Order: sequence, then structure tokens, then C-alpha cells
Amino acid sequence: MGDIVVLVKAALNPETIRSKPDGTVDIDAMSLKISDIDRNAVEEANRLRGILGGKIYSITVLTWGPVAKRTKDLNMAVQEALAKGVDEAFILADDSIIPGDPITTASAIVGIMKKEGLNPDLILAGEATIDGFTSQVAGRVAAKLGLPYISFARKIELKDGKIVAERDLEDYVEKVEAPLPAVVTVTREINQPRPPTLLQIRRASRKPQKKLTASEIEGIVPPKRVFEDLRVIAVKRKQIIIEGETLEEIADKLIDYLVKEGVIQL
Amino acid sequence: MVKVLVVAHDERSAGEALSAFGSLGEAYVLAYGAAAANAAGIAEYGVKVYKLDSDVTDVVFEAVKKLYEELKPSIVAGVSSKNNKDVLSRLAGLYDIPMTTDAYDVEVGDGFVRYKRGALSARAVATEKVPMPAIVLLAPRKYQPAEKKGGGSVEELHVDVEPKVKVIERQEKVRGGVNLEEAEIIVSVGRGFKKKEDLKLAFELAELLGAQIGCSRPIAADLKWLSEDHWVGLSGKKVAPKLYIAIGISGAPQHIAGITDSKIIVAINKDKSAQIFKHADYGVVADLYQFLPVLIKKLKERMGKA
Repeated sequence: MGDIVVLVKAALNPETIRSKPDGTVDIDAMSLKISDIDRNAVEEANRLRGILGGKIYSITVLTWGPVAKRTKDLNMAVQEALAKGVDEAFILADDSIIPGDPITTASAIVGIMKKEGLNPDLILAGEATIDGFTSQVAGRVAAKLGLPYISFARKIELKDGKIVAERDLEDYVEKVEAPLPAVVTVTREINQPRPPTLLQIRRASRKPQKKLTASEIEGIVPPKRVFEDLRVIAVKRKQIIIEGETLEEIADKLIDYLVKEGVIQL
Repeated sequence: MVKVLVVAHDERSAGEALSAFGSLGEAYVLAYGAAAANAAGIAEYGVKVYKLDSDVTDVVFEAVKKLYEELKPSIVAGVSSKNNKDVLSRLAGLYDIPMTTDAYDVEVGDGFVRYKRGALSARAVATEKVPMPAIVLLAPRKYQPAEKKGGGSVEELHVDVEPKVKVIERQEKVRGGVNLEEAEIIVSVGRGFKKKEDLKLAFELAELLGAQIGCSRPIAADLKWLSEDHWVGLSGKKVAPKLYIAIGISGAPQHIAGITDSKIIVAINKDKSAQIFKHADYGVVADLYQFLPVLIKKLKERMGKA
């Protein structure tokens, strides 16, 4: 019976970006949601559970604070993972490690696994998170645990205690094989996550969730990264909708605009 | 003096990383894959190149670890590629050192590296600093390759390690023969096209304008109407043409993230509430099946090709 650990992030939702008067991002006004590609990881965990036969645990480390203001969004993200098949969730939310850092997150994940006695056959994560997008936490976890690491998998098969995966690289697809346990990151292409059903959502609220604080976990490395500035990209697009009586007139006007902009030559 | 170890997956990436960091002090290059094949060319930057005889990630990781321990660099640099992220995230985890990806405008001083990078799906720019030693993967093509001043050397490197993750086979991706990063004009297609055959409308427009063909995620990843090198967006190519024409593309945030550096964006979509219009300079609310033939005809007339 092999268990699966899925890493689930409550990420800043880029669609809720707001600017302060000075042009910096108003992070406090943004909401958190489950990072998109983590949905694929949860979906894949659910599929592979049928083969491994064990339980699915999720680990979430809050990186955006303050904790008191983020609790609702954090719970929503974890609830979604529970509704989609996770059996038990572990959550670390602590203002002392906020704003987070991949160094801190990875060390906390490893610390939580040790504290809770989790010895999964597979650790799954999304290839990147939608807010940070640095693709490094899973690789850090693999190195800390001394486990095989397979990144950017778009297909996973399990057989005879081994994992066979297709890594989706820039110029080629690499088929690899590794023994379990292993750490694997998945791409969006690996499956099509379906939204949870109402019944799944109702059941999720009864599943166990364990909230942890930093002082309970050993080996947490404090954040080293310093955010100096976070600024909204102010791309001012003209947003001109070209009107006209006929499509011919609209086409002519469009061509006129493009010539005037110097981007096409007739 | 800051010591830099560049981890290069191809020759150009070595040149870009040396351009960003090479002038700081001593620089060494670990070359694997396509970079190892061009190790002599990289040595012309005037650096010592360790030419690794493998491009299997587990072996590259062991090689980086070995050189990191021997050289004790303050910065491990490279250009963001999937294998570099794979290998260097493990080095970062092993030694608990900071790592960033897609960085530019890097500055080094006072024991820190300061850099900018796109954040929040390319809607914001973050300025961050991390203490050294640190791993800094640059955004591709933000730096011109350094000058080749000659005088470097190549040393063959072999690491005796049995990879835990074994490579069974590699399959080259089908290429559509496009190079979107360099394109001046891109005609990009999305789900507004109902069948693969209908893309010929866009192809005709592209040919008239001397444009390359891009597409949104569903066209390449789900429907597979075009090869992945046409895919524009956060997981695809980030492009910076002077003209980007989005046809039948709704404008998902991940797609927008790939086109923000375009000079002029044109959107053609029959749904006037499509997100793409908020990110466009010029919008045409029309059925592409009706509008494209008219646009093509008008362009031909005005170009004297009718």
C-alpha cells in the first residue's frame, strides 16, 4: 500500500491584481486560490491511488499573509484538494515565515513529512505555481529527501514498483524510468481536472485537516529572499474597437491604423 | 572578485550568462548537451569549460554538485530551461541556497544579487534580492552574448554515477519551422476556428504580411492542429513582435502573459466581451469567417496584388 503526498499551494490569484496609487501591487487586496497546475497534480494523484492503493495527503505552506486575513482563501484551496480526492490535509500557516521563500517552503514540507511520519511512494506537485512560477520547490524537496526527481511530466505510468514518465522538454520528450519513492512534477497536459461535484465538496468538509505552526516543525530554514518592489506592469493598450457600416470599411480602417503605426508596409 | 559557475545547456545560453555575470571575476562553465557539443566555441569567451559527457539530469546534477563543492562559486548562473530548473533546484535544496528563474537586470554587490523578474503571470515586475551564494537563471534573450575574447580552455568531465532516473528514449518534437521569438509579425489563431482546415484563412493572411503563425494553448496542446513551437503563452513562447494579430483567441491570462511585449496588438473576435479586447490596441468585433476574407482582399488590393 503506497501513499501519495500532493503539494498544494494557495497562490496569489494573478487575475485579482490591483495597483496602489504609487503603481505597486496591492498584495493585501488580492485573493488566494489553489494554484492551477496543482489541480492537475491532485487529479493525477487520484488516478494513481487506484494503482498504489494507499492514501493521499496534501501539504500546504502559506506564503502570503497575514495569516488572519488569508484563512478563508487558504481553507477554500485546501477544501478543493480534499473534495478532489485528498484524504487528509496538513497546513502550515505562520506569520513568522511570511512572506515565504521556496527555501522555507521546501524545508517546511520535509519537516512536516517527518513530524507526521509520512513515507509516501510518490510526491506530486505542479510544474510551477501561478504566482511565483520558479519551478523549484519540488526539486528542493527531492534533494533534501535524497529521492529521484522527475520534472515536467506529461504522462505517468506505475508498474512493478517503478515509475515511467514522459518529461515534456523544449525540444524533445524524454521517457524516463525511476524506482519509487520519487518526486514528480506534472504539466497541465497530463490530464483534464474536473471541478468537484457537490457531493464531493460536502464530503470534503468532514475530512481531517491538521493545522500546524512553525515552532512544531523541525528544520525550517527562514526566508532569505527580500522583496524590494512589486510593480504592476502598466501596458497601456489603446483598446480601440474599430466600427464601420461594412466589413470592408472596418478592414480599410484597420489597415490605415497599422500603416500609421508603422507595423505594416503596403 | 565574485566567482561564477555557469551551467549551460547550449552555446548561446553560456554567452548570455557570461554577458550578465562574466565581468565580475572568475567564470567557469559546465557545458552539457548542445553546449558540450560546442564546448570549444564557449571556451572562446575566455573561460574554462568543463565538457560533461552526459546530458542525463541525474548526471548533470552530480557534476554541478561536484563543481560547486570544488569551486565554491558565489553565483551559479544559467538561462532558464527546463533541465536547468530541474538540476539547479536540486542543488538549491541540497545546500539551502536561494534560487530564481527568468531574471534580468541583475546587479551584484554587498554580498547580494539583486534582479528583476516577471511575477503574477507576467502582470507585475518584482525586484528582489538574495544573499550569495545564489542560483540565478536568466530570462532567455534578455542579454546579448558576451564578447569572444579567446584564451579559454576545455576540460573533459566525467562523473561516475549511476542515474536513478534512467532515460529510456527521447523523441524529437515535431517542428513547424517557426521561430516566434524572432518574428516581427505574428498571426495567431485560437478556438474561434472550428476546424483545422479553416486555419488556411490565417495562413493566407500571414503569407501576405510576411508573418509567422502562432496559436493559443488549445490549438497546440489539446487539438494538436499546430506543433508546439507555435504555442504562445506562459507555458509556450513569450513573444515580442511589432505586430500581433490574435484571431479567435479569447485572451486567457496565460496567453496574455506571452504577448505583453508586443508593440501593437490586434484582436479579431466575434464575442465583444472577450478578454483579449482589453489587451488589444485595435479590436474588430466580427466573425472571423466573414472578416478575414474581406481583410485579405483589401490587403491584396492595397498591396497591388489583387
